[in-house]
Amino acid sequence: MPLTVELGAVRFAYGASPVLDGAELQLSAGEFVVLAGHNGSGKSTLLKLCLGLLYPQAGTVRVLGGSPDDAPIRRRIGYAPQGLRVVTSIPVSVGEVVTAGLTPVRPIMRGFPDEDVRIAAALAAVGMEDLAHECLFELSGGQQQRTILARALVADPPLLLLDEPTTGIDQTLRPRLAAELRARADRGATVLAVSHDPDDFHAVLDRILVISDGTIRQLTHEQFHDHFEVS
Amino acid sequence: MRSIFTASWAVRAYIAVAAVGLTAPIIGSFLVQRRLSLIGDGIGHLAFAGVAIGVALSIAPVWGALGTAILGALALERLRTKGRIAGDLALAFVFYGALAFALVLLSLRHRLDASAIGVLFGNPYVASWGDVITIVVLCAVAVAAIVPFYPQLLAVALDEETARAAGLPVDGLNLLTVTLTALLVAAGMRVVGLLLIASLLVIPIAAGSRLAHSFRRTISWGVVVGVVSCLGGLLFALGQGNVHPGGTMVLASIAGFVAASVAGRRAARRHPRQAGS
Repeated sequence: MPLTVELGAVRFAYGASPVLDGAELQLSAGEFVVLAGHNGSGKSTLLKLCLGLLYPQAGTVRVLGGSPDDAPIRRRIGYAPQGLRVVTSIPVSVGEVVTAGLTPVRPIMRGFPDEDVRIAAALAAVGMEDLAHECLFELSGGQQQRTILARALVADPPLLLLDEPTTGIDQTLRPRLAAELRARADRGATVLAVSHDPDDFHAVLDRILVISDGTIRQLTHEQFHDHFEVS
Repeated sequence: MRSIFTASWAVRAYIAVAAVGLTAPIIGSFLVQRRLSLIGDGIGHLAFAGVAIGVALSIAPVWGALGTAILGALALERLRTKGRIAGDLALAFVFYGALAFALVLLSLRHRLDASAIGVLFGNPYVASWGDVITIVVLCAVAVAAIVPFYPQLLAVALDEETARAAGLPVDGLNLLTVTLTALLVAAGMRVVGLLLIASLLVIPIAAGSRLAHSFRRTISWGVVVGVVSCLGGLLFALGQGNVHPGGTMVLASIAGFVAASVAGRRAARRHPRQAGS
């Protein structure tokens, strides 16, 4: 399978102390990977490097075979940031937020011809098929989080970068979301989910990666629990 | 009484304020959503400096205001996004610096008179057909620029970081927003005045947000409140005869906000929406 995310000897620091120092990572199409680590260990930073929102101070970052700086590359990444970042000054409907995931980079570019079908499918994937016209801010925190997830899924991107995607979502709904992400991986997408709790995805994920002391290493599920219980 | 409906000067005033009342909420929606409600005020102050420059260079005040407002708005946005200066601090510098510059320049040219001060508060009764055409064209350009960029502007207004991550030209879209704000300020200078035009960017949209459950519907309601309050405020001023129309238009939009808040709360009580897990 082709590589979709490649980090080579990446270093990134906020100030003097690096959060990533010589980090190496390779992900392939069709992989479902959870990235774990303590608070401040650099998980969200790694996602932002892959999105071109931050630049490595050393090393290389390649996604989908190119630079994350390129707009056409970024357009093929589905991103769900941590928490609700949608500004709350004016009411916005769930459908409007999800539609933002289909926005073409330039107005002259054609959007998706089947926009309505895609929006309905993305909302169905997160169990919100009947809520497209609801105001986002009148929904529960879990529904808001699922809306953000639907925005990341709506364009059916080949790379999904999800920062704590299950935060605030009911325990009963998490297996459904995990199955949906697995299905996307099985269709060839790469799913990289930052999570404090890989148990949410235990039944469906391929690998658990942990960032520790600026580097990334792979752990088994048992090793992960041993590691975090000891530390 | 009939003349306030059919007199040429009244018709010109109706057309001018309706154009501004329609356009201001459309642009204002993106400013309010990005929590930049006061930027219109800052650009208004910049435009006053442009009026003074226009007077000094013997060019029409509206073009001096337009040029200065656009250049100043672009500089302001750049300062804000580069993080060199906090948003409110940047606005404060613009507010006071531009106003002071205009006062100094106008007084140096011995032109600190009623006509110069008049642009701060506007007067739709004295708008010529040339003024009306300029206002309508500036408003039409602003709306025509927003329509094709609406999905991109909305995506940025909703979540700037995710829009940037998706490859959208966020900086360019933000510059477009402040440029269109400058266009609107220059357009509204004659009819509402530079000190009050910013209120029409904000208050009708705030009213619309009390009635709607989506961004698009908020804009629709905002346009209704903007046009009705501008025309209603103008009619009231014309009928009363002694009050300033700029003031009545803004007060009418505030009344619209209060009415929308009451109506929105009643609607919410009648049709409570259920939030699930």
